[in-house]
Amino acid sequence: MMKNDAGMHPPIDVRQVRHSYGDHAVLRSLDLTVAPGEIYALLGGNGAGKSTTLSALLGFIVPSSGSVRVDGIDPAADPARARARLAYVPESVALYDHLSARENLDYFLALARAERSGKTVVEPALDAVGLPHHAWGQRVGGFSKGMRQKVAIALALARHVPVLLLDEPTSGLDPRATLEFNRLIETARDRKVAILMVTHDLLSAVDVADRIGFLADGQIEEELAAGNGAARFDLNALHARYTGASATA
Amino acid sequence: MSAPVIRIAVEEWRSLARNRAGVVASLLLIALVIVSAVVSVERRAGIEAERARYQASVDAGFDSQPARHPHRMVHYGQFVFRPLSPLAFVDFGVDSFTGNTIFLEGHRQNSANFSEARQSSLLLRFGQLTPAFVLQTLAPLLLIFLAFPSVARERERGMLRLLLAQGVSGSQLLVGKLLGHGGIALTIGTPAFLLLAWLAASAAAPAGVVALLIVGYATWLLLWATLAVLVSALVPRSRDALVALVGIWMVGVILLPRVLPEVAATRAVLPSRIETEIALHRDLKTIGDAHNPDDPYFAGFKARALARYGVSRVEDMPVQYAGLVGMEGERLTTGLYARSAKAMETREAEQNGFVRAFAPISPVIAVRQLSMALTGTGLAAHQDFLNQSEAFRYRFVQALNRMQAEKIPSIDAGEDPRVSADNWKTIPRFRYRPFVPPAALIWPNLLVLFVWLASLLLLSVPIGRRLGRATR
Repeated sequence: MMKNDAGMHPPIDVRQVRHSYGDHAVLRSLDLTVAPGEIYALLGGNGAGKSTTLSALLGFIVPSSGSVRVDGIDPAADPARARARLAYVPESVALYDHLSARENLDYFLALARAERSGKTVVEPALDAVGLPHHAWGQRVGGFSKGMRQKVAIALALARHVPVLLLDEPTSGLDPRATLEFNRLIETARDRKVAILMVTHDLLSAVDVADRIGFLADGQIEEELAAGNGAARFDLNALHARYTGASATA
Repeated sequence: MSAPVIRIAVEEWRSLARNRAGVVASLLLIALVIVSAVVSVERRAGIEAERARYQASVDAGFDSQPARHPHRMVHYGQFVFRPLSPLAFVDFGVDSFTGNTIFLEGHRQNSANFSEARQSSLLLRFGQLTPAFVLQTLAPLLLIFLAFPSVARERERGMLRLLLAQGVSGSQLLVGKLLGHGGIALTIGTPAFLLLAWLAASAAAPAGVVALLIVGYATWLLLWATLAVLVSALVPRSRDALVALVGIWMVGVILLPRVLPEVAATRAVLPSRIETEIALHRDLKTIGDAHNPDDPYFAGFKARALARYGVSRVEDMPVQYAGLVGMEGERLTTGLYARSAKAMETREAEQNGFVRAFAPISPVIAVRQLSMALTGTGLAAHQDFLNQSEAFRYRFVQALNRMQAEKIPSIDAGEDPRVSADNWKTIPRFRYRPFVPPAALIWPNLLVLFVWLASLLLLSVPIGRRLGRATR
């Protein structure tokens, strides 16, 4: 049994990670940490290495070198334990269309061996994400993307895990749904969850992120922390920086 | 078995239950198993009653013959009908294509006649609606349709990452899917299994044979469910899984079992009936002519018979010499027929052996051989019937020849010597001994099925590991 040295590591801790697909180096010396109760927005163009970073944290790939820890656990060495400490919301939220929102949650929580009482876990989670009560028992086959996102976030909240990984969470959402989503992940931040949000959505990142990292050429080129004032980030400067970073990726 | 594995298996069932097409197809197949079993039980009972009625009728006809010369009764002959095994309703095997009735008479060995295939339309050759046909041919197709998307569709929809992200390993996911579809496979076979168990419980069929039949078919169905799930886990898209599995089904279940016997027939050619008749006629000419006083073999036989009875003329024998000649002639011709039949049996065994050699490649051959062996409807059971009827024919003809030798006076017998009609009742009647399938037809076929299933399950270990990793 691997010792959980969470006390020595932030919940998300990526150090000097390198990874290649064949001859193509995707990550080159990536360093990234996310603290409890922090939202980190990882921005980058296509092919910058965002999805590979998530795959490394999920234990789907074994990095060529470097260290990856999820709540102190190496996902490559013990993926099951690492995954038990994280919740993951994919870009395209795939749920079982033949199941209702409540049944989907119950199923995924059962697979995660998490507490899944309808009254104390599932329903409060669905309530917290603002999914209308009448939709709880409906099959998700007819749900919009926003509603599906809510079910996925409800699952993440119900798991009560210290790490939340979001892959392009606002892609395809309308502005109102994006705002609702941002408020939801703030709820998770309030619960001291370390949140890594991989995104193209600069507005959303500016709205909720505590730190924004620009990933280019397999490493963090620049990292900005939110200010304390009303304007947390300089959006214009970020936009200029981002479009430049995207162009170089 | 861990809780997530069982939950994944249960979820496969719920997914099937909410899939209208899947439910309808499954219910149709289960209905087909039930209907085929009921129809086959009725059909078997009908055939059995018909054969019993005809057997009683020809026996009564034989008994009611008037006083006659015994040799005329040798040519009057007897019909024997092969009774069906109690399990024949599961699998009619070759019974519909081989004859099931033989006319037994002196001096010649007739072949079995009146096969259903000869008397029915050619449609019979395309497969009868029996539980064996449904379980061997149709059930694998349904299992393919139910299981082909089991893992591939999860991957296509991006569900696999989400599932694995919950902490479920690739192996647990695969075992859960295998468990779910294995349960579906066994459910499909359950109506037939229950009927078989009821037959065993009511002592209508041997419990051991029934148990082996259930184990064989259960393994066969599990094998297809396992194969379908593993192929689904190996390929990137569900449509690839469907194409691959239907291809395997077409080659393994439809093509090979039909092509292999044709190839076997060209490798070990059986002589035609006319060729056999001509060869036998030629051989019969060489064994001697009892009516030719100069024939060296029968001259020697006559000398030995005279010496045995211590007389110098056949007229002085205490038995009729013609009866003795009849017995000797029957012994010689039976020997010739037996050699010819043995040669034919050897050729057929060669053909069967060739087909059986492919059982490790196409387990449908193993399940078919096993099914026919256990239900007593295979070629071995038919050959056993031919052997039993030929042994009986010899006893029957020799009993009449002996009657002629002992009851017809050797001199002054008159122009039309006869024996009393009461004698016909003393002639033995055919009593069929039920076919007991030899171990050589059971265990190698069961072993092939077990090895296939075990190999697929072993293969699921690396496939499960790969499933947990190869998800970018």
